[in-house]
Formats: sequence, C-alpha cells, structure tokens
Amino acid sequence: MIEFKNVNKWFGKLHVLNDINLDIDAGEVLVICGPSGSGKSTLIRCINRLETIQEGEIVVDGVPVHDKKTNLTKLRADIGFVFQQFHLYPHMTVLQNVMLAPVNVKKMSTAAAEKISREKLTQVGLTDKAGAHPAQLSGGQQQRVAIARGLAMSPKIMLFDEPTSALDPEMIGEVLDVMVNLVSEGMTMCVVTHEMGFARKVADRVLFMDFGKIIETGKPTDFFDNPRTDRAADFISKILTH
Amino acid sequence: MLADFNFRIIFEYLPLFLTGLRSTFLISIVSIILALVTGTIACAGRISSIKLLKYPAIAYIEIIRSTPLLVQIYFLYFGLPTLGIRVPEIQTGIIALMLNSGAYIAEIIRAGITSVDDGQIEAGVSSGLNYFQRMRFIILPQALGVTVPPLLGQSIVLVKDSALLSLISVMELTRCGQTMTSERFMPTEAFLTVAFFYMCIYFCLKSLADWSQKKLIFREAY
Repeated sequence: MIEFKNVNKWFGKLHVLNDINLDIDAGEVLVICGPSGSGKSTLIRCINRLETIQEGEIVVDGVPVHDKKTNLTKLRADIGFVFQQFHLYPHMTVLQNVMLAPVNVKKMSTAAAEKISREKLTQVGLTDKAGAHPAQLSGGQQQRVAIARGLAMSPKIMLFDEPTSALDPEMIGEVLDVMVNLVSEGMTMCVVTHEMGFARKVADRVLFMDFGKIIETGKPTDFFDNPRTDRAADFISKILTH
Repeated sequence: MLADFNFRIIFEYLPLFLTGLRSTFLISIVSIILALVTGTIACAGRISSIKLLKYPAIAYIEIIRSTPLLVQIYFLYFGLPTLGIRVPEIQTGIIALMLNSGAYIAEIIRAGITSVDDGQIEAGVSSGLNYFQRMRFIILPQALGVTVPPLLGQSIVLVKDSALLSLISVMELTRCGQTMTSERFMPTEAFLTVAFFYMCIYFCLKSLADWSQKKLIFREAY
C-alpha cells in the first residue's frame, strides 16, 4: 500500500531521512517510535507530501507521491492525517470542520456530507457535539473530531503524528480507544507514538528510528521484550521507567 | 482668553467649514475604499510565491513606508504633469492617499493572514483543499476578524493625513482654516474649529472600531 524506495531527505545539512526502505501492506498497523528529532514525523509527512523528498521514491497505492504529474488533491483525499495539535478550524462548528473537505474536495452534496460526517462523529463518540465549537471541547474530544474529520473522506490510509502527545493523561485513553476501533475495521494506519500499550495491543509492526535511519523493525512483542540493538534497548528502558 | 475668542466669526465661516468637512469626508471615503483595493492587491502580490508579483509588491510597500506622505504628495503633484498627465489637485490628492494607505493596509491584511496558525493550513492541505479553498474557508474568515480594528485605525490615520492636501490647495477642512486665517487673521478660532471637526470624524470612526472589536471578541469567546 505504501512503499518507500531509497528515500533520502535533508533539512539543510541535517540528514533527516537516511536511505529509508519500507513496505506497508494494506490493513497493516505500523507504529513508529524513536527519540525526538529522529525523523519519524517527517517520515509520515512525506507520505501525503506535506514534505518533499530529495532522493528516492514513495508509492502510495500505485501512485508515485513525489511525481510532478501526480494529482495531489486526489492523493491527499485518500489519506487521512491527524496532527499532534489537532488543528481544528476554530471558527467552524464541529460538524462544519468534518464536512468541509467532503463537500469541497469530494464535491459531495451537503446532505450526503452531513450524513457521513454525523456517522463519523458517532463513531468517535461525539454525536452530541456536532454543533459545538472546538474551543468548547476538551483536548481529547478535539482530537476525536480531528480523527472524524479524516475519516469523513473515507480514506484508504490514516496517518497519526503523535496523536496523544498534547493530551492530558486522562484523555489519552479515549483517543486510543477510537484508534483501536479503527484497527478492528481493517484501516491501514501509520502511527507515530510512544504509547507502548497501544503498540503492543494493535500494532502489526513497530519501527524504531534514530538519526533519520530505521534502526530496527519487528513485531511489538519481539521489539519491546527482546530488542536487537542497544540503541533500541536503551530507548525502551527510558520510556518504560516513566 | 475666552473673552477674546470670537465665536461670531466662526458662525460666519461655518458654511465654508461645512463644505470643507464634506470635502474631507468624501476624499477620505473614496481614498479608503481605493486603498483597500490597492492594499488587497498589494498583499496578494506580497504573499504570492510568483516572483514577478512578489517583488514589485515588496518594492511598492517599502518605498511608500520609507518616505513621508508629504513628499509623495508633492512627487505626484509636480511629477505627474511633467509626465504629461494632468489631473485636478483633488484627484492627485486621492491618488496619493490611496497609494500611501494601500501600502499600510497591505501589511495589515498580511498580518491578519499570517496570524492564522500554520497547522490549520496544513490540515487543509492534507485533506486535499486547494489554495483558494484554504483561503476562502480557513484563512480569510479568521483573518478578517483580526484585521478590522487595525483597518479602522488606518482609516483614522488617513482622515488626518488628508489635511496635507491643503498644501496642494485642495479645498478640504484644513485649507478652509487657512483661508479664514488669511482673510481675517484669526488662526486660533480657525484651527480650533478645524480641530473640532476632525475630532468629530475621529470619534465616529473610533466608536465604530470599538464596536467591531467588541463584536469580534464576543464572537471568539462564544
């Protein structure tokens, strides 16, 4: 579904993605972890071309992402993206936030867009918040709206960039529950997160990055219990002691 | 002092002042509308990634902001005729005010647009919204809220700046004061009256600005 071939990217002198090769299958749930600045966010931001790459190729569902001729609108419409800071539109209601792209990108009728948007809000447990504004919601609720906003486009892939890192501890669970529910629907997901419980429970594969390189990849149980590299072992011991 | 103050002469000159007030008012309104158009276009150029639009816009904004309005007025007043363009003083004045305020308005609008969080723009990008859709649905509705108060502030500045047009003999409010001074030599009465009328315009615009600000803050708070 998503294929990285010898991908390299630099921010100035910083080699932020270093020869990345990666295959993600349809329906696979990939968790990406690693210390900050290791390139994990950049990696998933390249998938819908929020970031450009200098070398290599990324192919999503047969479409070369960084080809000039690629229809970016179509590509992005098929990929949902959830940000750490939610990034809801504060001047719109929750329902308007979710409906905006279906109506304007997919050119759905207002009625059809509203129907699917309400369905997705129900799926994330916020049926009754459709008329509220983002500022009236808690962080966890806002992030669930952001997930519903992504889902309303009926994407093939959902990308999550540290979706729970900006949340109070007690709200992390409600967001993770929504994500676990998505996994059970068979969604292809790439999740940058340090939520190890989530990774153990639902990830098909964990990918550990440092200095722009993929250091280690494996099944969650193997990775957490028997890391092969010292760097990964060190990282795991640090996040588990907190 | 007040005993020496001649109110009679003010009433005698009131019709003149009222035409001056009308003229200042009309010049200001027309200039503000034209400056909004100019400023919007200049801002669009300024934030464009097309160099052919961006650099002329930057040059315009920087030249205007780095030179005094009076110099700009004189430049147009004496410069346009040498280029063979003959326009009445009042039009010259309006063009000068339009170009001058347009540059400041361009920066005000740009500040409003850049005040919208980049993350929201990225959210729009990642859901497939194109540039114009992001502008229309995400950026402009929010930018408009924060630009209205400074735009009204700029309008107040423009009204007061229009006094400089008296120097190219446009018959506006300040020029009326000068006329009365030269005919009767009563500068105190003349310019106090002029000041009074400017204050009237100022307070009208200011209450509009305060009202809009309250309205906008209220909308944000819900």
